[in-house]
Amino acid sequence: MTPPTASTPLVVREIGSDEHLDFVRRQRSVSFLQTPAWARVKAEWRHESLGWFAGGELVGAGLVLYRQLPKVKRYLAYLPEGPAIDWDVEDLPPWLRPMAAHLKGRGAFGVRMGPPVVTRRWDTATVKAGIADPAVRRLGDLAPTERSHAGARVVAQLRDLGWRPLAVEGGFAAGQPQFVFQVPLAGRTEEQVLAGMNQLWRRNIKKAAKEGVEVTSYDGVAIDPELKHFHDLYVHTAERDHFTPRPLSYFRTMVEALGAEEPDRIRLYTGRHEGTLVAATIAIRVGAHAWYSYGASSTEKREVRGSNAVQWQMIRDAIAAGADVYDLRGITDTLAEDDPHLGLIQFKVGTGGEAVEYVGEWDLPLNKVLYKAFDVYMSRR
Amino acid sequence: MSLTLTVDGDRWRDHLRSVATAEPDLVPVAKGNGYGFGLGRLARRAAWLGVDTIAVGTYEELPEVAGRYDGSLLVLTPWRPFGAAVELEPALARRVVHTISRVEDLGDLLGRQPDARFVLERTTSMLRHGMTARELWSTADVVRAHPKARVAGVALHLPLANGAHLSEVHRLMTEVVATELPLDTVWVSHLSASELAALRTAYPDFTFRPRTGTDLWLGDRSALQVTATVLDVHAVERGDGFGYRHRTAPKAGHVLIVSGGTAHGIGLEAPLGDASLRGRAATLARGGMDAAGFVRSPFSIDGKQRLFAEPPHMQASMLFLPHGARVPAVGDVVDVRVRYTATTFDRVVVD
Repeated sequence: MTPPTASTPLVVREIGSDEHLDFVRRQRSVSFLQTPAWARVKAEWRHESLGWFAGGELVGAGLVLYRQLPKVKRYLAYLPEGPAIDWDVEDLPPWLRPMAAHLKGRGAFGVRMGPPVVTRRWDTATVKAGIADPAVRRLGDLAPTERSHAGARVVAQLRDLGWRPLAVEGGFAAGQPQFVFQVPLAGRTEEQVLAGMNQLWRRNIKKAAKEGVEVTSYDGVAIDPELKHFHDLYVHTAERDHFTPRPLSYFRTMVEALGAEEPDRIRLYTGRHEGTLVAATIAIRVGAHAWYSYGASSTEKREVRGSNAVQWQMIRDAIAAGADVYDLRGITDTLAEDDPHLGLIQFKVGTGGEAVEYVGEWDLPLNKVLYKAFDVYMSRR
Repeated sequence: MSLTLTVDGDRWRDHLRSVATAEPDLVPVAKGNGYGFGLGRLARRAAWLGVDTIAVGTYEELPEVAGRYDGSLLVLTPWRPFGAAVELEPALARRVVHTISRVEDLGDLLGRQPDARFVLERTTSMLRHGMTARELWSTADVVRAHPKARVAGVALHLPLANGAHLSEVHRLMTEVVATELPLDTVWVSHLSASELAALRTAYPDFTFRPRTGTDLWLGDRSALQVTATVLDVHAVERGDGFGYRHRTAPKAGHVLIVSGGTAHGIGLEAPLGDASLRGRAATLARGGMDAAGFVRSPFSIDGKQRLFAEPPHMQASMLFLPHGARVPAVGDVVDVRVRYTATTFDRVVVD
């Protein structure tokens, strides 16, 4: 992404999904929520691919989902984990102002976005020490391993430009998670990644192999026949862990849409023990960024450690595909002993990765009255 | 025969030590009149406390403290390319931590002294000295061009509003982090203990150094006593004339001459900053008394504040004591309530 120069101001206009996909393919890392395919997964919303042009050159892109305000033909323009622009500039207004003007022209009363910009990182040792220390209640109470100048600069500028951070209280935010857990893969071999895991993870991976858990991965059309099996196990998991499962049709659409974009954009993994499905997961990769997206596991035969086996296979495949990062997605920032979310972070910490904080989601009200109405509507929902 | 500050030494030192123990990153401030104690005495006390840095207000104050304390000397007034800042003795320059509040001053300072040590000041809602966020960010380029430069952190001078600063400091901290310099020390003023604790929790990788004057030196008022001496006593009848302006006594009583006048700061009130309705009403009432010829003085006899018989003189004041009150003798001492930062004592006695 080339920074604009004073002589060539940036122009924002709609682009075709082919042009958008071309741009995504040229980037090292773009969120899968910012691929043209994601618009097809979220088909209930109007969408638009945006391009930033410096001169004639496409230097940035974003996927906008338009969420309609009830009863009014006005929209919240939402760019989840995007847009993909050069966030590492000292001067963001030339990038953000034309976007806001364009979206306003399309009927938006406000813009919501989640810049894919990291502000802080905590490595495994730090997070573990924090969990062990009763005085530490949140990740933020711990000295981060890294505090990003560029991330802070984005936050300072957004605030200056009238953007408002979405309040994150305790658990998960309403939108995309601000805190995620990632295993860095760049420059590391399989052996190094395995050595970085805690003893329990390593033991479980070994145990699954010894017990004869067979992991198989599927991509393209091969996923479809297996998807029903995944979904049955996923519904079972949802009942056990008390969350609302998505319907099978959602996964069908997701597999079809993402799979059509790149042959291995989305993969299904199964772990079988003596023919019984004990674990199944969905992995997504865009360029050098690989995600663990959905997971399911059986209540029986937990001792054969099918979950660890499929995770390890996903990580190995990500390394083989040249990924820089294996992303286990959202965590809460809580490290308090009595918090129900602690188990989740403990499981993820076992991978030897790092807790990562992004700048979070920000709103720009374009029409103060409608934005306020929307805010009230959301808070009462 | 003087306006005297008497300090209960044990009590005062106990207080100083307890503040320094509770706050290991304390930076004592020794500026102006030395909070009534004098700069030299504060410098020696700071050395005794064992702190590594003290703050002075101006470059002119440096010689007063430099010989009595041998740690680092932070100058709170921003460096400018003129005056005492550029006439600094080379021997002293090595110990000084400058405050930089303009990007152009940083280039200028480093041009003159490439290994200068300095803090970068960010403006706060107080809007006194300091740089904007973007100006702060741009200092990284200047520092990069001077490899010997020693950045000692960021300075934030917050307004006096206890308990209300946190959101402002968080915003400012984001801008500090955004600067591509190792700014891991933040020099702050006027933060409450709970605000400091909250910041240290949120930024455990930063060192917060509170610059403290009043709460340190004057934090235990019960250790301090200010007295004036009765120099003369005259009985007056109603209508008797006295004083520079030859006023007449409103009724029978005594005119007392006590030590302490305008040269000490008596009668020259530093603004208290009391903006409440009650405070302003009190100011109006004092003005009213002034018009009628009765002004409350800071001198009190037997616990009762007495009226000025006429405006204070340069080194003494005349008080009016109405008939019936106990009349002190020449040589007796009377209590005085003063603003320590605006008072020059003739003597400071530390037991």
